[in-house]
Amino acid sequence: MHKLRVKFTKTGPIKFIGHLDVMRYFQKAIRRAEIDIKYSEGFSPHQVISFAQPLSVGATSEGEYMDMSVNSMESSKDIKNRLSSVCNEGIDILAVTELPENEDKAMTLTYAAKYRVKIRESLKPDFDWVSEFEKYLENKTLPAMKKTKSGEKEIDMKPMIFDCSFDHKGESVVLLLSMSSMATLKPALLFEGFYKSKGLEFTSNALDLHRIDIYKKEEDDKGEYIIPFICDKNQEKIYL
Amino acid sequence: MNNCLALSDETLLSIEKPERYIGNEVNSVTKDKNAIDIRFAMCFPDVYEIGMSHLGIQILYGMFNSYEDVWCERVYSPWLDMDKLLREKNIPLFALESQDPVKDFDFLGFTLQYEMCYTNILQILDLSGIALLSKDRTWDDPIVIGGGPCTYNPEPITDFFDVFYIGEGETKYREIFDLYKEARNSGMSREDFLHEMAKIPGMYVPSLYEVSYKEDGTILEYKPIYEDVPSTIQKEMCTELADAFYPTKPVVPYIKVTQDRVVLEIMRGCIRGCRFCQAGQLYKPLREKDVERLKKIAIESLNNTGYEEISLSSLSSSDYSKLPELIDFLIDSCNKKKVNISLPSLRIDAFSLDVMSKVQDVKKSSLTFAPEAGTQRMRDVINKGLTEEDILRGSHEAFLGGWNKVKLYFMLGLPTETDEDIAGIGDIANKVCVEYYETVPKEKRNGRAVEVTASTSFFVPKPFTPFQWAPMDTKEDFLEKAAKTKAGIMSQLNQKHIKYNWHEADASMMEGVFARGDRRLNEVILKAYEKGCIYDAWGEYFKFDVWMETFKECGVDPFFYTTRERSDDEVFPWDILNCGVTKAFLLREWKNALQNKKSSNCRLNCLGCGAASYGVGVCMEGRNNA
Repeated sequence: MHKLRVKFTKTGPIKFIGHLDVMRYFQKAIRRAEIDIKYSEGFSPHQVISFAQPLSVGATSEGEYMDMSVNSMESSKDIKNRLSSVCNEGIDILAVTELPENEDKAMTLTYAAKYRVKIRESLKPDFDWVSEFEKYLENKTLPAMKKTKSGEKEIDMKPMIFDCSFDHKGESVVLLLSMSSMATLKPALLFEGFYKSKGLEFTSNALDLHRIDIYKKEEDDKGEYIIPFICDKNQEKIYL
Repeated sequence: MNNCLALSDETLLSIEKPERYIGNEVNSVTKDKNAIDIRFAMCFPDVYEIGMSHLGIQILYGMFNSYEDVWCERVYSPWLDMDKLLREKNIPLFALESQDPVKDFDFLGFTLQYEMCYTNILQILDLSGIALLSKDRTWDDPIVIGGGPCTYNPEPITDFFDVFYIGEGETKYREIFDLYKEARNSGMSREDFLHEMAKIPGMYVPSLYEVSYKEDGTILEYKPIYEDVPSTIQKEMCTELADAFYPTKPVVPYIKVTQDRVVLEIMRGCIRGCRFCQAGQLYKPLREKDVERLKKIAIESLNNTGYEEISLSSLSSSDYSKLPELIDFLIDSCNKKKVNISLPSLRIDAFSLDVMSKVQDVKKSSLTFAPEAGTQRMRDVINKGLTEEDILRGSHEAFLGGWNKVKLYFMLGLPTETDEDIAGIGDIANKVCVEYYETVPKEKRNGRAVEVTASTSFFVPKPFTPFQWAPMDTKEDFLEKAAKTKAGIMSQLNQKHIKYNWHEADASMMEGVFARGDRRLNEVILKAYEKGCIYDAWGEYFKFDVWMETFKECGVDPFFYTTRERSDDEVFPWDILNCGVTKAFLLREWKNALQNKKSSNCRLNCLGCGAASYGVGVCMEGRNNA
């Protein structure tokens, strides 16, 4: 048995496909690729696959992750080639790496996600929103009401923003936001707060979201840092 | 991949299920539109999830796209939210693959699977900006062509179509495309092109026929307006089914659709001759496909799609002569691939129960019987071979095998039906319950009771069946019969284990009007559409009152088409077509029905229906030629 982690993109029209259908897409792709996937036990066995985090409908990504277990394989490179040859709908297989046997699922290890956020042309506010957003983030606290299973509760979004940068010319911002079982901040909630601070109504359709990558938390002698699940060796560690 | 969608991201995100409109599915076909001659938009006039489940479109889509000079794309009815949006924003309806306006296509083909889709045809034309009436169209509009079971009486919708393709699509499209290319290259007029089309076998160009009526409103005659077009149109049939195109790369939708699996058509036609069944007559004679080719198709299709389920398709799979061999093969290869096998329309017997126990979870699945009627007399009238003994023996064996759920299907409103036949429905349901308790001793039931579901639908007489002469019940008759059925079930000892479902009667009545309607209904359908009727097949959107009001305004009596007694020699609107079985045969069968007389099936004894003229299939099996 081998545990594998697959990094893939989601671009083009397939961005309108919801999370459950992306799962179904991969279940079929894995069969088309004739991968010796591991199935669960029981009368209706299902493939042992899981995804790091759902991506909202309409958002694109260049850093999505799926974990899968296979009974046998030639190499992780062969798995990558096989999957690539059957996925041509805006899903590009960027990398496949083998994981240690005791590695937890990406789903549980996910710690943060980086997004590039734009506002759709037809729904753009009539002011320099990037500068105003930058000012908004300078607030000491960023209170918001977050919907939970049991209702709403007030949270502070500020500590959930790990990093941000602003592209005034390209009218976009890059945000590194907390995304774990402990605390998840969705870009839409942050922009809702921003719009509210400007006295504006916010609709989530206004955001043109692109996920750049998903991060896990690691530790070395310099302390805790976060880093994308699969990345170049030169990728900078972001110390918390 | 086609990145240029017809709708903006904002628009797509503002509607329900944007996946319906973005194309780009696995195995969808994209071609260079400058390198092809003919663009064909193939439409199933219902919502995406229904339309994508249809096998016929997948066959023609694959076949057309295998031609170098043709690009076939798909179109489905925009759902109501999208319909509103397209109208408000004045966006023309587009095909899924290229996302180009449908109006720019050379052909717009509709598959007509049920009568209640007729207003959706007008929706598609309207949203595309294509003239609703054939007579108003120019070369700026695509050629609008219809096919499928409803074209066996296309008279209610003749105004909206340029041509109907009568019969199986595999045979004549190449010829049509060649004629079209020649016509466009030579600068032929649209009228002349349709005139030429009418000379291709199977093509019915309704504008080339004049209808005259008798004083009583029935038809006097049909007359072609040119001498060189045929006076009746003979159904096209695929005589070489073994070699015919079959898609092994069907389009795989992203979202869950009704038929979400590989569909393997094992044969076409049926030997059974149930007298209410239109498909049984239309697709005669029965033609089996070669088992070796089916095995190959099954494996290729599964490999090309990645589906986790494969289903056999036919009108009566148990009649396929190599069924055990095929199923053994599928079980063997599907187990390896963890693919499920679904086996609809199997007769319940020892063989099928054995197979089903291998491919299904016995505890979860249910057995289905379709006795269709409550007494043996009534079943003889409809020529349904299933007996009470068959049902009880099948149930007995199934209960021994661990099943405890049984579904029973019946029809109400069959010709000659009496209260006794209706009471018989409750009786059979109860006997199945009793069979359970007699078969399975208490200690082996594990607390599980028997669960019987009896469902009734209302019988709608269809063209080209022996019951095409039969008067149809009114809505009030139907509801009274459903109430009697319910009372019959409630009076049974085991009534608490029997669940009863019945259908709406309003929609059945409308279906009855369209099924045996004539050209005078065109006006009604157009008016009803203009008044907002659409998605009539969807109970929640079906506006019965608006339809009734429209009949009144148009001076058309709907009951003329439903409850009226028809004389033996009445000229029917669909007599302009020849579906292979003769009217004399159907009349003979109608008379047999009225005398409670059963008829044989095609394999046992030829009834001389006329389909042998095609010279293929079961008619040529030798021992039983007429």
